Amino acid sequence: MQSNAARATVAGVLLVAVIVLFIVLKGGDDDSSTTTAPVASTTSGETTGGGQTNQPDSEIPTIVVKDGKPVGGVQDLEFTEGEEIRFTVDSDVSDEVHFHGYDIGKDVEAGGSVSFDVPATITGVFEVELESRVEQIAEITVNPS
Amino acid sequence: MSLAPFQVVGHALVGRQDLPIPDWLFAWGASVVLIISFFVLSFAWHTTRFEEQSWRPGPRWLTVAVLNPVTQFLCGAIGVFLLGVTVWSGLNGTEAPDRNFAVTFVFVTVYLGFIPFSVVFGDVFRAFNPWRAIGRVAGGVFKAIAGQSAPPALAYPEKLGRWPAAAGLVAIGWLELVYGQGGFQIVGLTGHTVAVASLVYTAYTLVMMTLFGAEKWLERGETFSVYFHMFSTLAPFEARDGQVGIRRALSASTKWVAEAPGSVALVLTAIGVTTFDGAGEGMLLNPINTVEGWLGDIGIGPLAALRLSNTLFMALCLGFVAGLFWAGIYGMHTVRTQFSTRRLGDLFAHAFIPIAFAYLFAHYFSFVVFSEQAQFSFLLSDPLGDGSDFFGTASSGIDYAVISANLISYVQVAALVIGHAIALALGHDRALKVYGDPRLATRSQYWMLALMVGFTSFGLFLLFEANG
Repeated sequence: MQSNAARATVAGVLLVAVIVLFIVLKGGDDDSSTTTAPVASTTSGETTGGGQTNQPDSEIPTIVVKDGKPVGGVQDLEFTEGEEIRFTVDSDVSDEVHFHGYDIGKDVEAGGSVSFDVPATITGVFEVELESRVEQIAEITVNPS
Repeated sequence: MSLAPFQVVGHALVGRQDLPIPDWLFAWGASVVLIISFFVLSFAWHTTRFEEQSWRPGPRWLTVAVLNPVTQFLCGAIGVFLLGVTVWSGLNGTEAPDRNFAVTFVFVTVYLGFIPFSVVFGDVFRAFNPWRAIGRVAGGVFKAIAGQSAPPALAYPEKLGRWPAAAGLVAIGWLELVYGQGGFQIVGLTGHTVAVASLVYTAYTLVMMTLFGAEKWLERGETFSVYFHMFSTLAPFEARDGQVGIRRALSASTKWVAEAPGSVALVLTAIGVTTFDGAGEGMLLNPINTVEGWLGDIGIGPLAALRLSNTLFMALCLGFVAGLFWAGIYGMHTVRTQFSTRRLGDLFAHAFIPIAFAYLFAHYFSFVVFSEQAQFSFLLSDPLGDGSDFFGTASSGIDYAVISANLISYVQVAALVIGHAIALALGHDRALKVYGDPRLATRSQYWMLALMVGFTSFGLFLLFEANG
């Protein structure tokens, strides 16, 4: 029994070590801890981490639609719960821009543009679509606050 | 990523996808899995707990309430009626999958919905199974006319075991995830497809029931019956000899694999199909698109290329899950060689039913919660999507705020961790029975432990990578 328990301990410690190593390596780019508060200046600086293109109140992201397709592929936009979800669609085709989940549809004319300004109340990943073409133009991520 | 220019008919059934679980929760989940594993191994019990038959009749009123002819007839009639509604709405309703009763009803309400009910209440699908109901009525009519029961035309080949059900599960998974979907778009899964598939499957099932005998085919070959029955072996309720009884939860699963060949395949298929669905939204999304691109470059049409690529990766996921399982079992075999690898696989596969359930629960929990709001509001009042309003609920929508992203993450991780703990318990219990001595049992379980930690951590990883 003792040798078994010892072996189990070794195996357990090894596996924990692997996990810890993984977290350390993985956690390099963003702040995954809620307890280590001292580096507060950096956390507030980059809130939700990489890949974010929008800055609240500074620049409203624009999705440009050319020939009924999003320029540069499906646009990823990220927001945090409680913020305002703001984006604009410039389209060269007329269609309905449908923001799924929040279920808001707005018509856009060919050559026109349409703006969305919605409080981020539902968390999750949502599609924005040119409804009649069934063409996804953006993927909106709303992270919990 | 450029979207291929084929005509898609609609978007996903629900307009929201889950966020990946946060880093810290992933780390905590994985750590808790290891700690639980360590404790189970160190302080495990010394006599088997789930191997004995423990069924005893329940209270009389329960039997009377559940197994009386009126209830049975009503449940069967409901099953047949809903099968009819599915075919009717599928054939006559809108092409938009999220607005047609048939799609959500078959692939969410039945295919996913019966799983948790089976785990908690036992084999409830049996009561609602439309094909069983049709078979019973047909059998009754035959008996009334001929004065005796119809003998099955053929003896069911026992070698086939549960393989037809496993194959059926692959087919249903393929129809939903490969034929029907590409990324988050539904590409071919219209109500019409679902209706045709239901009719074909009904014809196939009735023919097989006639050939091999209704009960035999329901036990071995009918995919839904066999699949839900597998999960019902975890439940503490079972009807036996016309009586509803109570048994120790999980205990029936210990007998399940030995009943028929193909059972291991069924468990692994359940895990593999779910793995493909999870991975296809996250870590396999780019590889799938890449291969789709290659296939497009060699001149295969866009829709065919998408489906071919998805088929390939679905097969890969099934192969990966089976490979992982058998590699772990092979490792166990090398430690104590008195059993063949194959025999060990049969002996321990039932311990993976809770892992299959945990995978399904973690992956589909939020999807079912949102879809069922649609099912019981606008899909019920307006099954065809043509503007009718039978029950006054046609204008309701899905409230995505009923469960928050944080709650979903917790439920997902909790499901995997609990499934893991139960799997370990069943594995340890079986080892006690097989090896007799607790010391040998524990030693033999290092491989099993590694295998289960592997599956659970992989499940956590899929959630972590989801929609990434």
